[in-house]
Amino acid sequence: MITHDVVVIGGGLSGLRCAIELYEKGVDVAIISKVPPIRSHSGAAQGGINASLGSDDSWESHAFDTVKGSDYLADQDTVEILCREAPDRVLEMEHWGTNFSRKDDGTIAQRPFGGAGFPRTCYAGDRTGHNLLHTLHERVLRAGIKVYREWLVTRLVIEDKRCLGFVAMNLLDSELEVFKTKATVLATGGYGRIYEKSTNAIINKGFGISLAYRAGVPLQDMEFVQFHPTTLWGTNILITEGARGEGGYLYNEDHERFMKDYAASSMELAPRDIVARSIQQEIDEGRGFPGGYVHLDITHLGKDLIEERLGGIRQISIDFAGIDPVEEPIPVQPGQHYSMGGISSNKDGATPANGLYAVGECACISVHGANRLGGNSLLDTVVFGRRAGVHAAGYVASLEEADDDPLEKALNNERTAISDMMGSDGESYSGISEELKKTMQENVGVFREKKKLQKAIEDIKKLEEKAKSLKVKTTAKEFNLELLNAIELKGMLDLAHSIALGALVREESRGAHYRTDFLERDDGNWLKHTLAYLTPEGPRLEYKDVNITTFQPQRRTY
Amino acid sequence: MMKLKIRRQDGEKVWYEVFEVEDRPGMTVLEALFYVQEKLDGSLTFRYSCRGAVCGSCGMLINRVPRLACRTQISDLRKEPTNEGNPEVLIANKMNEEGNDEILIEPLPNLEVIRDLVVDMEAFYSLLDSVRPWLELREDVPEKENIVDQEMQVRLEQYTNCILCAICHGSCPVAARDKKYYGPAALAKAWRFDLDPREDDGHREQRLDIVNSNSGVWGCDTVYKCVAVCPKKVAPTLSINELRNRIELSGKKEDKKNDMKL
Repeated sequence: MITHDVVVIGGGLSGLRCAIELYEKGVDVAIISKVPPIRSHSGAAQGGINASLGSDDSWESHAFDTVKGSDYLADQDTVEILCREAPDRVLEMEHWGTNFSRKDDGTIAQRPFGGAGFPRTCYAGDRTGHNLLHTLHERVLRAGIKVYREWLVTRLVIEDKRCLGFVAMNLLDSELEVFKTKATVLATGGYGRIYEKSTNAIINKGFGISLAYRAGVPLQDMEFVQFHPTTLWGTNILITEGARGEGGYLYNEDHERFMKDYAASSMELAPRDIVARSIQQEIDEGRGFPGGYVHLDITHLGKDLIEERLGGIRQISIDFAGIDPVEEPIPVQPGQHYSMGGISSNKDGATPANGLYAVGECACISVHGANRLGGNSLLDTVVFGRRAGVHAAGYVASLEEADDDPLEKALNNERTAISDMMGSDGESYSGISEELKKTMQENVGVFREKKKLQKAIEDIKKLEEKAKSLKVKTTAKEFNLELLNAIELKGMLDLAHSIALGALVREESRGAHYRTDFLERDDGNWLKHTLAYLTPEGPRLEYKDVNITTFQPQRRTY
Repeated sequence: MMKLKIRRQDGEKVWYEVFEVEDRPGMTVLEALFYVQEKLDGSLTFRYSCRGAVCGSCGMLINRVPRLACRTQISDLRKEPTNEGNPEVLIANKMNEEGNDEILIEPLPNLEVIRDLVVDMEAFYSLLDSVRPWLELREDVPEKENIVDQEMQVRLEQYTNCILCAICHGSCPVAARDKKYYGPAALAKAWRFDLDPREDDGHREQRLDIVNSNSGVWGCDTVYKCVAVCPKKVAPTLSINELRNRIELSGKKEDKKNDMKL
């Protein structure tokens, strides 16, 4: 049994920021992650991090943009925290070494992003996530925080609504070990890989979210799935919103800047949900290019500016599409990008289970509501990562030692469960996973309607049945990918089911959730959060109120 | 059809195995490895994460050249010889007119193999730690941001772009013969912090003393193999030359007090 006061599961931005806070508060903290921290998906974030640094900008203005962008589903008390704390967190990252792009006077540069009334997005070229991730990782090295690299957490141990620790598998030798903690922080990122077309890293299967769900913690607003408007056609690698922020245009096959028909005043800088739907509609109605894409044109920005501020996407376009955007437009299409929903948690990252916290994309602290604005997710990781650290440090300070028995029992149960999965006469994970991605892409995508959502749920139920006889043939101990993928697959099915069901029941269009059979937002019936609880029959849905303080819901126009 | 000839290794033996993969336009080596793992042999193992050349997980030897599997296209490999039997060749020779239908895939050199294409990265990370790769806060931290001019930001960027993929380490002849040599990635990182105007002077000096050794900048053969293979154009040899100049200018060169080989 391995013991720490607090273990943070996940080594991306929110996990590292949380661990640093706990370390600075004098807590015995460790990080456990299925990939080394610098290989987390946070490193793929390109565009930037929002903070009202400008003297003519304000946190209130940032908060209004965020709430409006969220289609009024964000909780306004948490949005206030996000926007008030933003400048401090960004300056802190600068002090710790982030190499932000600069203005002529040497201060941090800011660029315009969709849905924002001010050029508020601080950036480090188009490698902002990479820069921030390495800065926090360097800070973790400086602190000497213990990192369990390449371990998969397979089960949380929660007894009497208190989290006592978890069981994890060392990927190096497939051995299980139990970790005893006073508090555990989930910082495991999103689930993009349950969709066929996603900007997410291949490792992003949402398994951390399913760990909490299976341990009885509710998931919140899972039907709100963000589709990024501009992902590279073919591989769906992200092409940052910064490309439009710097002045890029979208063209259809007739070389029309079609955004004039959808968001006449904001054009390409409308929020992501609107731009994604506009592109998809152009493609669906035959005005896209053969194969299903439109053009993102930045050629007029010139080679120097492209090299300086968008050098990463230039390289991506050359490497993965054979296109040099200095000379030719980039072929783009919408792809799954971000999960607004996740583990239900409050402004301190605390979940309904005592001692269990969730931060970053795996959590739903409800700052993004029905649609997240670009530049707010990196901000979310450092603001709420830190806050969860502060709160968890206070929580563990007064806690009594827990009993070891439930942990030992969970370890034995998990050993049995995994040995039961080994064998050669059942279903393999890859077939089930492929079918799941296909049905999510076709039926729970940018545009949704009753029949398609029902079809998705039927498909998922069939796949859940199949997954009961899932078997792993490979017996190798070291880095058994087949075993890793099989374990994570069951979590993917859980999440897909909660997304599809939440979307079927929510009979309105709000933010990224767009129903072609219910075109309007319906505040009378649906200005509320969805909560999904796992039962043997699938998700059971409940609802709770949205916290509205300052900004009364109004019609969203751009 | 394309053939992948993959070096396999378990606790007891090493062998090469050939898999036939149905390729398609735009297919990368990483996608071909997934094809093998999911459809032909689930026991094949390798590392991956982002598939977009930003995380550095999938560094391996492809036709004897260390590179990222995720951004190496099968169609490009058809145009180069496999270099089999000539491990000294790091950069591909001229195009083969016939086209190749076999790709040779092996783990990254200079690190112990754990299984198949997975190498022990702990050794690499611990060498990196040796150079104290972090910014130490000066005492006079400004209330707002530090003022950094654009020219310096661009100079820093070349080194902050490093993704720690260890591809440079896998190409380095010094790392091949000296397990204590910090290696190109760690030394580029050392220069990244030495260069940073925000770094505390005391910490900068401490780091300079660490790299002033045969495990550090004086160990480098300056043959630029790391520069040739770096997927992010970090150019570690340039940073090693810069550090050597800094040491000579500071008059520290004589003491070499951290010579790990002694």
